[in-house]
Amino acid sequence: MTQVSSTRPIVSVRDLGMVFPVPGGQTVALQDANLEIMPGEFISLIGPSGCGKTTLLRLMADLVRPTSGSLSVNGETPDAARQKRAYGYVFQAPALMDWRNVLSNVKLPLEVMNLPREGRDARAREMLKLVGLEKFERSYPWQLSGGMQQRVSIARALAFDPPLLFMDEPFGALDEITRENLNLELLRLWRETGKTVVFVTHSISEAVFLSTRVVVMTARPGKIEGVVNIDLPHPRGEDSREDPRFFQYATEIRELLKKGHA
Amino acid sequence: MATRAVSLPVAGPRPTLGVALLTVATLGLLGLCVLLARLAQSSAQAPVAGWPWLLGVAALFVVGAAGVRQVAQGESRAAKIVPAAAALVLFLLSAEALLRAYNVPTGLIPTPTHIAQALWAARTVLLLDAYYTFVLEALLGFVIGALLGLALALLAVRFRFLERGVLPYAALLSSVPIVALAPVVIKAVGLGWSSKTVIVAITVLFPVVINAVHGLQSASPLYLDLMHSYAASPVQTFREVRWPAALPFIFTALRVSSTLALINAIVAEFFGTEGHGLGFRIQIEVGRFGLDIVWAAIVVASVIGITFYLLIQLLEQRTLHRRV
Amino acid sequence: MTTAAPDSPLAAAPASRSRRASNAGPMLAVAALALLLYWPVMLLANRGVAQRALDSGADLGCKTALACATQLRNPVIPAPGQFLEGFRALTIPPTAPTSAPYNMLVTGGETLLGLSLASLLGLILATLLVRSRSFERATLPWLIASQTVPIVAIAPMLAVLLGQYGVQGFLPKAIIAAYIAFFPVAIGMAQGLRSPDPLQLDLMRTYRASPGQVFGLLRLPASLPYLFTSLKVAATAALVGSIVAEISTISFSGLGKMLAENSRASDTVALWVIMVYSAVLGIALVALIGWLEKGVTRWRPAR
Ligand SMILES: Nc1ncnc2c1ncn2[C@@H]1O[C@H](COP(=O)(O)OP(=O)(O)O)[C@@H](O)[C@H]1O
Ligand SMILES: [Mg+2]
Repeated sequence: MTQVSSTRPIVSVRDLGMVFPVPGGQTVALQDANLEIMPGEFISLIGPSGCGKTTLLRLMADLVRPTSGSLSVNGETPDAARQKRAYGYVFQAPALMDWRNVLSNVKLPLEVMNLPREGRDARAREMLKLVGLEKFERSYPWQLSGGMQQRVSIARALAFDPPLLFMDEPFGALDEITRENLNLELLRLWRETGKTVVFVTHSISEAVFLSTRVVVMTARPGKIEGVVNIDLPHPRGEDSREDPRFFQYATEIRELLKKGHA
Repeated sequence: MATRAVSLPVAGPRPTLGVALLTVATLGLLGLCVLLARLAQSSAQAPVAGWPWLLGVAALFVVGAAGVRQVAQGESRAAKIVPAAAALVLFLLSAEALLRAYNVPTGLIPTPTHIAQALWAARTVLLLDAYYTFVLEALLGFVIGALLGLALALLAVRFRFLERGVLPYAALLSSVPIVALAPVVIKAVGLGWSSKTVIVAITVLFPVVINAVHGLQSASPLYLDLMHSYAASPVQTFREVRWPAALPFIFTALRVSSTLALINAIVAEFFGTEGHGLGFRIQIEVGRFGLDIVWAAIVVASVIGITFYLLIQLLEQRTLHRRV
Repeated sequence: MTTAAPDSPLAAAPASRSRRASNAGPMLAVAALALLLYWPVMLLANRGVAQRALDSGADLGCKTALACATQLRNPVIPAPGQFLEGFRALTIPPTAPTSAPYNMLVTGGETLLGLSLASLLGLILATLLVRSRSFERATLPWLIASQTVPIVAIAPMLAVLLGQYGVQGFLPKAIIAAYIAFFPVAIGMAQGLRSPDPLQLDLMRTYRASPGQVFGLLRLPASLPYLFTSLKVAATAALVGSIVAEISTISFSGLGKMLAENSRASDTVALWVIMVYSAVLGIALVALIGWLEKGVTRWRPAR
């Protein structure tokens, strides 16, 4: 599962900048960001609050337009990639629709994209099985715990089989144990589907545990401080956390974060 | 957390163009109105067909709407206020022109200028009517109903029995139409203004009781526990926790009731008065097709209603120290 | 979810159900108390009228004011016997065009038709409000102001106007009911159409959803709870509107017509009976909407 293939990058960010006008001035949310993501990679963006992680992800997803620089997704502009439904997005909150049960929440993208009616149920069930919620397809969101809701939203993002997955602190609001379980599940999903994942997190250990590469960002102005290659073997499990290299990487990331703070 | 909705690029605001369009539309409509008034004075011959005027008014209205669209862009103060004012002016002028163009009898639908004239001509009568309807009936009834409602709510919170036995009825009775209540109360209390005061008080009572009880019980259990840990007296707990928690709920009820009070006073007057009040005036004048007076009465009632509402809202803001 | 009473920290469905059950006792006790108080209050209220009637030498078939208080033709408060008699007279047979149940159904029908019209109109208006910012800025202040305006005061005039233009029968009352009800519906719906989370809107954008899909799959379903809340407010208002409309037009049926007739004839007992029927209708309309709401918004936790 190493990505030594010489294919073109799936995401390529060049001198990207984003400035928001705010009352009485402006906020530089992102400055001169450069990054190339290869197909099949698991990239984590890590950094303190307000360093532009969400902004970078939203730029890639064409939810906002950059004020400077350029970026391409799947070799196209983000807009064209979105038009081709090239990525699934998992938000910080589950953002499920209260009036749809679990199954029909997962079917939502299939409906919007007018995919064949017959295949929808089967596909949605398959995704629910992948996140271990096949028993809850008739439940409504309010009947699920936060962790389960977030798993539904991951199933929903996977339902239309996009090659790319953007995840913005998907496990930020969960307790440690649920979070570690979901981390394992996410890694399994990533291995099984071969998708490219861009993952935003606050947690150093989560980033090290999940990623092939960790992009360390710092705030004011938001910029990329450095990139750390995580050379831990796959598949990873609980024992990966015991690996001495795990601590090395974590320390390296912490140093980079401190550097930005100074 | 950047969770704001995507803002798609919009055409840049062009307020000067908007103001120009609005000026053209307003002056044009004004011109049409003056022209129509002149025509009506000078010529005794059969009226001209309505449709050319309709086209003219429609065209100018569209121009005006385009102007409103332009001035409504952006976040400036003007962009928030001017469109509403312009819309009102455009609407009034268009109504005036169309009603004149189609020779709609003033007895049927009076033009805005006729209403203004009626308002001025009947001002003393209308003010006296307003005194009866608002001060004696709506305001007095509102105060009585609110005070009774608060007292009842306090009792209901203090005595669980009352809460369980009375509150469900209050919730039920709040969906009873007041028109059903009015004739009975008027027969019982009499045709004078006090019967309307009673009706208003009854209709204000229910929402106040329901909301006040809800509010008094909305105090967070955490705060109640905190007061308990201080060994606070019931009075202290009430003053520091329950009452502040209830105030927003009570004000919501008061705000809603403030408009209901006036409306219900007017409707109650339809069922019998001693010859005073805006509702009485409306009913009498509808009967003899004096619709300009009817509209004038409605304008008076609206102004009073909005003022009363805003005053309650101001009181709310002052009391709660926050913007609503 | 309703706020729990401080002494029962467990809110949610089962607790509130048990609480409702425990309300029955106190509610019955209060009802019994009200019935008990009814007699003395009625006697007290009617005694004055009876005394005056006796003083004027009318033959009521009774001697003292207190004895006559239950037999007045126009009591301030009818005696239970009188009320039951009036109730029977106005109820049986229920299919007669002069019976209160029949007229209640007519008024209820007008109000429901009016509410449907109001929902349609409210939906259109709310869509415009949400779609166009300039429309919102131009009209919203007036829509809000109109809520403080006694719109129902326009009903008599509107009734006359519609009659002049040949709109007759069922429809003018429904139109007036709709006219009164559509403002709260429009405001509530606009609030509901705006209620989706920005994240949900972003989600639809990542799917490249068309504006129609965003509306149909997100905004509209999200607005349903708001619609029902505002419909409950609107229902009572619309009922008042259709009754006022019945009074002010030449009507041949409806509770409003009955009210007007009996008010003119000073038949107090009948007015009391009609009041009870109107109350039942008002409560039934709100209950009907609540029932519809339960059916349509089945996804929500039971409250
Ligand atoms: N829509 C916006 N308007 C104004 N400022 C914004 C907007 N979105 C983000 N920002 C600002 O940009 C900076 C980076 O935000 P964000 O990308 O959300 O940070 P992170 O996700 O790393 O916590 C913050 O200072 C934030 O306040
Ligand atoms: Mg973020």
